[in-house]
Amino acid sequence: MPHLTLQISPGGPLVDVLVTASEERREALRRVGQPIPQPIQVRALIDTGASCTCVDPAVLRGLGLTPTGSTPIHTPSTGGALHNAEQYDVCIIFRNPEISLELPTVPVVAAELQVQGIQALLGRDVLTTCLLVYNGQRGFFTLAY
Amino acid sequence: MTNSLEKELLTYREKLPELKDQEGKFVLIQGDTVVNVYDTYADALKEGYDKFGVSPFLVKKIEAIEQVQYITRPLVFPCPT
Repeated sequence: MPHLTLQISPGGPLVDVLVTASEERREALRRVGQPIPQPIQVRALIDTGASCTCVDPAVLRGLGLTPTGSTPIHTPSTGGALHNAEQYDVCIIFRNPEISLELPTVPVVAAELQVQGIQALLGRDVLTTCLLVYNGQRGFFTLAY
Repeated sequence: MTNSLEKELLTYREKLPELKDQEGKFVLIQGDTVVNVYDTYADALKEGYDKFGVSPFLVKKIEAIEQVQYITRPLVFPCPT
């Protein structure tokens, strides 16, 4: 089973991933002769408290993406109300000496994360297909697909 | 950065009673037109890009009661334009 093991940092289980347009969008851009955006490296926090994956809008802007979805979302910052968040379709790539894995089509919510020192939250939607081991005693975590 | 999908979301809400028997599948909508329903998110997205290129369209999971996403940390969302 391909896997990667990294140290748990003071910010939590952080992993660098590449984000680019989804496979379907890249194909559409190719067909009309528009440039394909280069993948952007982002620092992502593995967050089991997030039911969906979120990406900072600056990253989505850098990829020239437009929304293709919308979902109601609840966070402590929305209070008792729901917020209808825009969703974008992206491809997430884990590229590391230990693992090379591409998730070609992932819906993500745009959320300001840069201020928290990260650019993405990897939520349970992405974790649903993997095995996550959090070894707090030894100070590392393993993500296996 | 964003294109509002307000019109497509309105169409989704209007057409939901007709779509309910296909709950769990994914509907592709542009403007006030329901294009079709697909088994997977990726299939609906592919058809959207095939038909409309990078023009706005909506892909939405058909749910009688919409599933809410929960995030336990405070987040700030960008304003749609």
